[in-house]
Amino acid sequence: MRFSTRTFLFAVVAVVAGAAALLGSGAHAAEAKRLKVGITLHPYYSFVAHIVGDRADVVPLIDADANPHGYAPQPKDMIRMMSMDVLVVNGIGHDTWAFEILDAAGMRDKLHLIYANDGVSLIPIAGDPSGEKVVNPHTFISTTAAIQQVYTIARKLGELDTANATYFRDNARRYALEIRRLRAEFDAQIAGADLTKFRCATMHSGYDYILQELGLQVTAVIEPRHGVEPTARQLADTIDRIKAANVNVLFAEKYFASKLSDTIKDATGVKMYSISHISAGEYTPDKFVEEMRENLKTLATAIIESSKGA
Amino acid sequence: MQLVRPAGTRYEGLALVAATLAVVGALFLYVLAQGSEGFKEPIYDWQVSAFETLTGADQAIYNSLYTVKDEIPYIYDDINMFNEPGVKFRWPNLDDFQDWLLPPFYKDTSYEQQGSLTWTLFEPLAEGEMQGSTMYLGTDGKLPGQGSFLLVIGHVHAGFTNTNAIVIWWNAKNHEEMPQSGFRDGLILQGWREVVPYSGAQEVKRIFGNNAPPAVPALPDGIGTEPAPASDRESQSQSEGEDIESVIEGALEK
Repeated sequence: MRFSTRTFLFAVVAVVAGAAALLGSGAHAAEAKRLKVGITLHPYYSFVAHIVGDRADVVPLIDADANPHGYAPQPKDMIRMMSMDVLVVNGIGHDTWAFEILDAAGMRDKLHLIYANDGVSLIPIAGDPSGEKVVNPHTFISTTAAIQQVYTIARKLGELDTANATYFRDNARRYALEIRRLRAEFDAQIAGADLTKFRCATMHSGYDYILQELGLQVTAVIEPRHGVEPTARQLADTIDRIKAANVNVLFAEKYFASKLSDTIKDATGVKMYSISHISAGEYTPDKFVEEMRENLKTLATAIIESSKGA
Repeated sequence: MQLVRPAGTRYEGLALVAATLAVVGALFLYVLAQGSEGFKEPIYDWQVSAFETLTGADQAIYNSLYTVKDEIPYIYDDINMFNEPGVKFRWPNLDDFQDWLLPPFYKDTSYEQQGSLTWTLFEPLAEGEMQGSTMYLGTDGKLPGQGSFLLVIGHVHAGFTNTNAIVIWWNAKNHEEMPQSGFRDGLILQGWREVVPYSGAQEVKRIFGNNAPPAVPALPDGIGTEPAPASDRESQSQSEGEDIESVIEGALEK
């Protein structure tokens, strides 16, 4: 069999093109192997973004402007979920809608879940007049409980992506120290303040973890349950307790304002401050640290101003 | 004239009872399937629940120690990483915890708010005695009714019988001396109680019962199989498969 020069050149071009195509698809495949890590709440976006760095993609399950309290799942959430390899959830009451989406999308037995709170030692809702010990799911408005979740997420992601396990762990440690430095900043801000005069109530139980970590007591919580407004009788009782305990500070929600806080402020004379629930606005890697820094600054201001009071 | 008697209610009554029982039974089975509101892990006499029993500062201190459990092996690696040959490996001391800003040891305002416990480290490897347990004792808190804490790193390799490698204990007494042994039975006799958390994992079980969406290990082919950069692989080889027990055993062998 004779090969012409033209045939030979065609063969060479075909081989080179084929090799290039194979290399190209190989590179594409390597890129496609990055984990797609879904998250349900804003803090988890920040946690995961810091843990995975540039070695995985972070995908929010719901829109940034959606209120995660009582969220009604949308069809596009299912589409997002189907693109994920793994989903990080709170799992203890703050993202129950994620499980509705999971079932609606038929992903229950297909999607790997990371329960961020698996290793967190939970605390009850503070200031409950009934004395009943109800689990507080706001573990992400914190420092220590947040760090525990960062470690859990990093460890679980490392089990899924063993090649990057050490990278995830090292990033988690660095991030944990960054979170802890927030407390050092807070400490510097309240240096010399008299904490014995600080007595606070909160609109809801969202701030229990951070207040307990800082050694600050909550005297009363206005909402009997998260998102449930008190009855007239409950409100009257709470106002009486606030007055009796000389509460001088009320922490209310920054993003989900309630007229109720104004009522309590007027009835008791407490000074009101806004704390972020870290549940609104754009998803960004630095959102958690930025908003916690702002929250701690607000706490420091409240402590300093209450220490100046009679 | 024809007398028409009303039909008896006997069978209607039976049917009503049967229907009621069926509805109640179905509801009962539904509740069982959805999970029990009363789900709780058993707490033994020698244990105490961080959620139910500890309050205020003691609960906060425990929760900090609970996270410290994860950090201690990491810090152990850091401080011993560049040891010269022959240098004894050591566990983190209280100064190391200050460097890492690690509560409940780190001395800041929250430390004072939580009673300013006096912490002491007992490290058997440095002392050349004891039977395989490193202990951190926190005692003499300044708050009324405050108890004492003991974090025990049990060395299974050295004959420590407790299956939990790091255990946190609480004693209702405000003042306690460093125990002579980190063994469980001895601590219990001295009034120490193992603190157990109510964890997120337990709460998930309570909420979902046996219906909790499972963690599915299978991922699409190829994910996680790409080799990491060389710098990572090098440090990974040092810590691959590293859990607290292997760290402990490694320390003892060195």
